[in-house]
Amino acid sequence: MASLKIDHARCTECRMCYIVCREIDLNAVYVALEPLHRIEIDAAKCTYPGCTACLMYCPAEGSIIEAESGRSLVPPPPEAWRS
Amino acid sequence: MHPILEEFCDKWVWPTMPGAPGAAFRLKLTREHCLKGWEIALERTLAEIEQDLANNDENWKREKALRGYAAEGVAMSIKQMSGQLLSVDIADQERYIDLQRMRARQIWDECKHSKLHADVLLGKGWVKNERELMDIAAANTQPLPAYFGLSMMFAHIHPLARAAQNYYQEAIACLGIMATLDRVADPLVRHEHLSQRDEELMHFMEGKFQIDFLCTTPQTQQPVEEALGYLLHQVGGIR
Repeated sequence: MASLKIDHARCTECRMCYIVCREIDLNAVYVALEPLHRIEIDAAKCTYPGCTACLMYCPAEGSIIEAESGRSLVPPPPEAWRS
Repeated sequence: MHPILEEFCDKWVWPTMPGAPGAAFRLKLTREHCLKGWEIALERTLAEIEQDLANNDENWKREKALRGYAAEGVAMSIKQMSGQLLSVDIADQERYIDLQRMRARQIWDECKHSKLHADVLLGKGWVKNERELMDIAAANTQPLPAYFGLSMMFAHIHPLARAAQNYYQEAIACLGIMATLDRVADPLVRHEHLSQRDEELMHFMEGKFQIDFLCTTPQTQQPVEEALGYLLHQVGGIR
């Protein structure tokens, strides 16, 4: 099953993904318990590719990637939002 | 459509969360109103850049950095954003707390932007340190209406009007940055803009998110339409 992860070299920690994920009650995006408090995605809660909400509001190109392939999903590719 | 605007829309405007309840409203507003304003704003910016580059001197870089420092300096950021934080009534805070978070975040961003403008002025040798800017009027006054001006204090502005401002105005900021990066080679000026690129886009995304999720009824769509009309017609002079 495909999953998402944050590329910390590209992420600006704006937390739009966190806000959106919380708004739809998935809460898969969380703030890690580590000194930098970076954003992470809990693969057990994330329902990608069923849900692509965080991808639609992320402003940092390349910062959310498909964990298995390493493919950038920001900006969102057409298959992530076109039905 | 200008290729820069087309790229911006393809990357950031058209991608839409399936099922987002206010998305149809946002896309309609975009097609019927925003695109025209964005196109005009982009053309104006490009013309201004071409004129600056044709001048064969660097004074425009100094003027823009001073103007940017005035609009985004620390004191201005606190003033403008604290006013906007207060525009969400206590009773509305449960519903619109993200709008307040959006503004709180923007104070930080603006303060960082001011440092980038100072970087240009320092890097070019136009000031020796940031303190000198306190004595330069151009670095401390700005004529911008509405968005960063007095009307931010109007208590009757609906919280969602701010989302419309973010969506429409910050797109113009993004387009201006894209235009500058497309035409200007000076590494300091590029630094001044590159470092703002993701942040301005974040502000745009905040507006996109708020409209997509909260503007789902005529009552919540009306303040967005009104704010957009004000920005297009009164501020932008677009008919």
